[in-house]
Parts: sequence; C-alpha cells; structure tokens
Amino acid sequence: MKFNSWYLSSFLISFFVLIPIITVFTSFFESTSNYYEILKNTFLIEYIFNSVALLISVLICTFLLGTGTAYLVSFYQFPGSNFFKWALILSFAVPPYIYAYSLTAFFENYGTAFTILKSLFGDANYNKSIPKFDGMFGAIISISFSLFAYVYILVRASFLYQSQNLIDLGKNLGFSKFKSFYKIILPAARPAIVAGLSLVAMETLAEFGAVDFFSINTLTTGIYNSWITFDDLAFANRISFFLLLFIFSLFILENLSRRKAKYHFNSRGGFKQKEKLELSGNKSVLAFVGCFFVFFMSFLFPLSQMLYWTIKFPENLFDLQVIDLLLNTLYLVFLSSLVLIMFSLLSNYGNRVSNNKTLNILSTLSISGYAIPGVILAIAFITFIAWFDENIIKSLGFLSIKKIFIGSILGLVLVYFVRFYSLAFNGIKSGYEKINISVDESAYLLGFSKRKTFMNIHVPFLRNSLLFIVILISLEIVRELPITLILRPFNFETFATTAYISASEDLLEAAAVPSLFLILIASFFIMVTSRYILRESND
Amino acid sequence: MRKISILSLIASLFVSTFVVANEVNVFNARHYKADSELYSKFTNMTGIKVNLINGKSGALEKRIIEEGADSSADLYITADAGRCGAMDAKGHLQSGLTSKAIKAAVPKSFRTDKWVGIAKRARIIYYSPERVTGAELSGMTYEGLADPKWKGRLVIRKSSNIYNKSLVASLIENNGKKAAAEWAKGVVANMARDSKGNDRAQIMAVAAGEADIAVANTYYLALMLSGKKGAEQQEAAKKVKAFFPNQNDRGTHMNVSCAALVKGAPNKANAVKLVEFLLTPQSQEHFTNNTFEFPMIDGVSPSPLVVNNLGLDFKQDMKTKLASYGKNQAAALEVMTAAGWK
Repeated sequence: MKFNSWYLSSFLISFFVLIPIITVFTSFFESTSNYYEILKNTFLIEYIFNSVALLISVLICTFLLGTGTAYLVSFYQFPGSNFFKWALILSFAVPPYIYAYSLTAFFENYGTAFTILKSLFGDANYNKSIPKFDGMFGAIISISFSLFAYVYILVRASFLYQSQNLIDLGKNLGFSKFKSFYKIILPAARPAIVAGLSLVAMETLAEFGAVDFFSINTLTTGIYNSWITFDDLAFANRISFFLLLFIFSLFILENLSRRKAKYHFNSRGGFKQKEKLELSGNKSVLAFVGCFFVFFMSFLFPLSQMLYWTIKFPENLFDLQVIDLLLNTLYLVFLSSLVLIMFSLLSNYGNRVSNNKTLNILSTLSISGYAIPGVILAIAFITFIAWFDENIIKSLGFLSIKKIFIGSILGLVLVYFVRFYSLAFNGIKSGYEKINISVDESAYLLGFSKRKTFMNIHVPFLRNSLLFIVILISLEIVRELPITLILRPFNFETFATTAYISASEDLLEAAAVPSLFLILIASFFIMVTSRYILRESND
Repeated sequence: MRKISILSLIASLFVSTFVVANEVNVFNARHYKADSELYSKFTNMTGIKVNLINGKSGALEKRIIEEGADSSADLYITADAGRCGAMDAKGHLQSGLTSKAIKAAVPKSFRTDKWVGIAKRARIIYYSPERVTGAELSGMTYEGLADPKWKGRLVIRKSSNIYNKSLVASLIENNGKKAAAEWAKGVVANMARDSKGNDRAQIMAVAAGEADIAVANTYYLALMLSGKKGAEQQEAAKKVKAFFPNQNDRGTHMNVSCAALVKGAPNKANAVKLVEFLLTPQSQEHFTNNTFEFPMIDGVSPSPLVVNNLGLDFKQDMKTKLASYGKNQAAALEVMTAAGWK
C-alpha cells in the first residue's frame, strides 16, 4: 500500500463527501424532545404512508410512459418517430415543481382551462366540470411526467442493443407482437428498467418542490417541517435515517442491476442491426398520438402555460432582473463544475494509481450523495458546521466560522459538491475505463512523472467526457431548489428560488417568468447533450 | 507564480465582500414587489443599504436560529404576528425596537419592544350572496363557524397555515383550549372538502359554487378585484361578499405584518430607522395601495378597492393581545390536528 499524496487527496475528497451522511447517522441516536411526541407518532405514519403511495404510483406511471414510448420509437418507424426520439428527453427541462405550478394554473377554479372554455362556449360556470389536479394526484402527475425520461433513456438504450436475433426468435415461435414484447423484449430489458426506475425512485423520495407545493407530507417534507415547525433537528435526522435506509436499499438494487445491464450491453456477439418496422394506417396514427401525447404533456403543456402567463402578465417580465438571475445561475454552474471536475479528476486518478481496496469502497460510498435529498444534505451540513464551530473552532479560541460556510457561495458550492459528486466521479470513471492502464505504464517508461501523465495524457483523453459532465452538472444546478433555498447568501437569487418563492407567496403568475427561463436554459443544455444522452455517438 | 494567481482568482470567486458598510440586513418573508420598492426608497433617502435574503418564513427563522449569536440578521420581516411571537418565545429577538416615533404610530396591542406591526389585515368570512341569506349571517362569529347549519358549506385552508394558527390561538386566548378543541371539531365537520390551497383558492371555491362560506384574509379579495390576477379572478371576486365577524363582542380578528429585531443584530440603529421609515404615512400609503393591507397608523386610508368592497366601518379586536398568537401557537396546532383538520 502506498501512502502518497494522490492516495491522500483521493481519501480526503471521499471522506469530505461522506461527512453529511455520517452526521445524519450519528444524530439518529440523539434523544428528540418529547414535547410533540404524540403528534410526531401520528405524523410519522402519515409521512411513511404518503411516501410509499407516491413512490408506487410514480413508479407505475413512469414505467408505463417510459417503456411505452421507448418501445415505439425503438422498434417502429412512424411519422415523427425520429423527432420524438430526442424530443421526449426535453421533459428533463421541466422540474416537478414547475410542472406542479402549470397543472394548478391550468385546472384551478377560474384558471386557464376555464378561460379556454369561456372563450369557446361563452359565459357559464365551468369550474365544477373542470377536474382538479391537486394534492396527491397532482404530485403524482407532476413527478411522473418530469421523471419518466430516466426510464425512457435507459430502456431505449437497452432496446437499441437488443439483437435482432431475439426478435426473430419471437417471430419463429409464432408469438404475436404483444406476446413477444412482454415475453422476450421486456424481460431482456429488465436491468435497464430496474436501473431507470431506481433513479426515479430516488428522485421521487427526494422530491421537495412539487410535494411542498401541494402540501403533501412525505418523509422529505416531513424532515424539513419537523426541522422548521418543531425545531427538532434530532427528529428530522431520525426521519432522514429511515429515508436513507430506504434509499440505500434502492441504491444497492440499482448498482446490482447496472452490473447486469453492463453484461447485456457487452454481449454483442452476433449483433444484427435491427430493422425498424414501418407502421402504416391506423397503427401509425396511434403510435404518433401516443408519443405526441407524452411529449405534449411532459414538455409543451408546462412550457405553453408558463409562456401564456408571461404574456398575460407582462409586468412580471419587467420586474424580474433576468440578467442578474442568469449571471447568478451561471456563476454557480461555473464554480460548481470547476470544483467538481477538478476534485473528481484528482480522486479518480488517485484511485487509479494507488489501486487500493479501502479507497475503492470509500469512493463507492461517497458517490451515494446523489441519492440523498438536497433538504437532508443542507440540514446535515448546517448541523455539522454548527457542531464543528461550537466544539472545535470556538474551544480553540478562534472566531466563529459559521458565516464563512452558512449563507455563503462557498457553503452552497460545497453542498452541491456532495450532492453531484457521483455525476462527476462516475462520468470521469467511465471515461478512464477506456484509457488502458498500459498507456500509463508506457508513459512512466518514457520517464513521465505521475503529474505529467495526468496533465498531458489523461486530461486531453478525457476532454469529451468532461464536457458532457459539465453540461449534466449545469442542468442539475439550474433546476436545483432546496439546497439553494436553504444556503444561499444575501441578495442572491436563481431562477429556481425566484419561481419557488413567488409560487409559495400565492404569486403563481410571477413564478411563470423565472420558470419559463429555467425551462429554456435547461432545454438548451439538453439539446447540446442529446447525442450523448441517447448514446448514439461512438462514446 | 501562475499557479498562485489562478488559485487566488478561484478563491476570490468565493469570497463575498466582507467590508463593513452602512447597511441593514433584512430576512424578508414578505415578497410583495411593493416592499422592495420601499427599501430602495429608504436607501435613497438615508444612504443605508438594505441587504435582503428572501425566503419562506420557516426557513429564514431556522437560519437565524442556527446562526445563533453570530447571525447577520438585523430585522426579520414576516406576515404574521404569530411568527414574530414564536421567535420571541424561542429567545431569538432582543428588545430595543422602540422609539418615540414607533410608540406614537403603533397602538400598544400591536407591538412589543421586540417586534412591531407594520401593516394590518383582518381574517374574515366570505360568502356567496346567492346561497347565504342575511338572516343566516346575522350576528355571525368565528365561534359560529362550528354551528352545524354550515355543514358541508365551509372552506378554510390547512391547519399548518400560520393565519389559521393565529386565528385559533386567539380563540384559545378568549375561550380557553377546551372550547377551542370542541370548536375545531365542529369546523372540520362543516368543511365542504378537505383543506387545500391558499386563501385566494378558498374565495374562488365560494365563487365557483364549491362552498357557501370561506375564511380568508381581507387583502386577497381586493387583490382579485384589482385585476392584477386577471379578468377571470376579477369576475370571480364579484361573486362573493365580505363579512366581518364578532361585531357584537370583541371585534374581528386582526393580524399584522411585523418587523422583529433579531438578537445580536449588528446594525441595530439602522434597523430601528428602517422600521420608523416603514411607519411613515408615505410608506403606509404605499402598502395600502399595493398590498391592500390596512394601514398600521392613523391618518392613512386603505385602498379605495378595500374601502368600497369590504367596508371600513368595522369593529377591530383591539382587546386580544397579538403577543398571544405566538404564545398559543403550539396549542392551536394541537387542537386542529386532534380534530382531524388536514
């Protein structure tokens, strides 16, 4: 075992990322105040029930939406099929909370639906006949349409690599199309489906904005509320602990299934390019309508509702300091990507050269930050800083460090770092896997130092992966809400926080403008990377 | 050398200015556009920079608490006396928010020496004149909301809402916790639907015929009538009427937007100056015309939209101390939750 500086830095980075997770686990054993003991027990049951109900419904919806559309665009040719192939991932640009605003704006009493009916059919009280998509139902729809693309992308990729032989097999057995779909195609894509659904599950459990908007008490909002309403950090941490256990089992499940998925992707022996079936007549119309419905609901609907409101209440456009918000958002994106890329490179390289088991385990654990809700991370961060400040810094006689970390850009970027570390780490790791270790060895033989190998050989090799990662991080940070909300400094807003605050203050119309900008920026990032996301490049 | 300059450049990106300036730090849970206009006016007049951190009250309170004695917050401005009261009860405010000007402007029951009301609102009953008769409403009180005659006809928002917590806290203060618990059960039995949506959604539910009466704050109707929320909501607002309860006894439940002086405030004097500024006739007029609240001080008239549509001639509850809203808040949530109020 070599304790060199690479090893050390790699170790420190992983350890830093683990701090919030450790904080949550250690506070589990602190006693909670018994003031609200009875109330809390009732709440806990409600939180768990709501979380489970939300989770199961969203999983069913995203499964149907994701695999359905993936199946259509992978196996059939119909009008627009090439367009839908990438247009369906635009739904990523609409975070669940913005979807929730659109849903409410459209269906509420005297909302947009009412206006449309009124202008079509004249004056009447249509309110009672307009369905109301709020509460649990609204949350399920918002989250499902916003997240189904996880399933879509992974399942489509798996369909793409399914050998034509498999499909021929079905035909030879005399299976109907439906039968070969659920007997052969679907089971073969199972690892991808599980991987997609576990991502959806993690995001659903971590979801804050939409669930909070519809005032549903889930474990995640419960953590936030018990921290805020009951002043009970210990209880908040206790709920976090339950949630984390839940998430970790998902995480492990996802990792296992991904391992299997890899196996599938690699077995390309006898790979035969699939012939897409050309649909005609009613069937092609049906396929078109199906995909268009999903595309419309997941992207066009929220986009046009926000656009409509921006036009209807133009004063909000002029009130908003768009340039400031844009600069703030880009500033965060720039700093976070820089830090994430730098440290993930370092840590990956450290892992590579030290090839140490402990380090491998540690870094596997440390990428779990992505599975932890932003609310928990932010709270754990504050808890840790407060503890560290009280017990270590002050007892050594130094000035308080709280202000440096809480309510500062530094603190914000640090927590983003923990949350999105896995994105950067895994991205670079998969890039590294393509650089054979013999390349390093040749470099050493040529007399390159480790640093020189890293700077002159690895970094240029990884350039494409790095670009992709930067865009992914940017997409996440543009949409990120709870961490920014809790930790941002004075006079500092992003599109996400502005939208959220306006919406929570019953100024939904004012939330439309920042939401619109957010969707547009995120769409831009998606379009830039769609080639990578859809795995159609040689990458 | 190049490395050092790159590193220092990166470091400097993180560092916000730590320069001591003539400023006041406001943790602001009121996000009315009108407020930020007032703050810039204040800066222009006095040269004192107003630093804002906007957020939902809960999160802001939390940050003040976690930052403890090191908090950079001077003033906490929020939209309910219950919140200022609760912060006081937790020991995160300090006394000193008093001056001749403040004392002269604000009635005693609307301030303490730690927090001051800056604009008033009443929580009242809205009804459909088509479906509710004058006789039914005659002598109506908050207590009367539990009357079985309203079964299936009432909408009111969730129990977690601070306006409801303060209303119930005032009922506990006046009638005792036991009576309030019974009352909450009656109210839940009368609800036309499970509680959901904001105050404006309650008013619209009455307009849309989902319910006959709703409980909501005064400024919402004026806001809808102003057309700022679109033509449809303006129409909807015309379908409901306002009713001020408890006119024959203690008066209608009043609440305030309040400004509180945070413990350890680094710019205490500037904080007092800002509050004094918010209480000037000029600022008060700005509030009444933009947020449709009632003025805190005498001599300023509410917006014509409020005067014409809600009426001005009502008896306000000046007896119940607003400080009791914070004090009874936990008990209020407890009785509502126990009654099954969502």
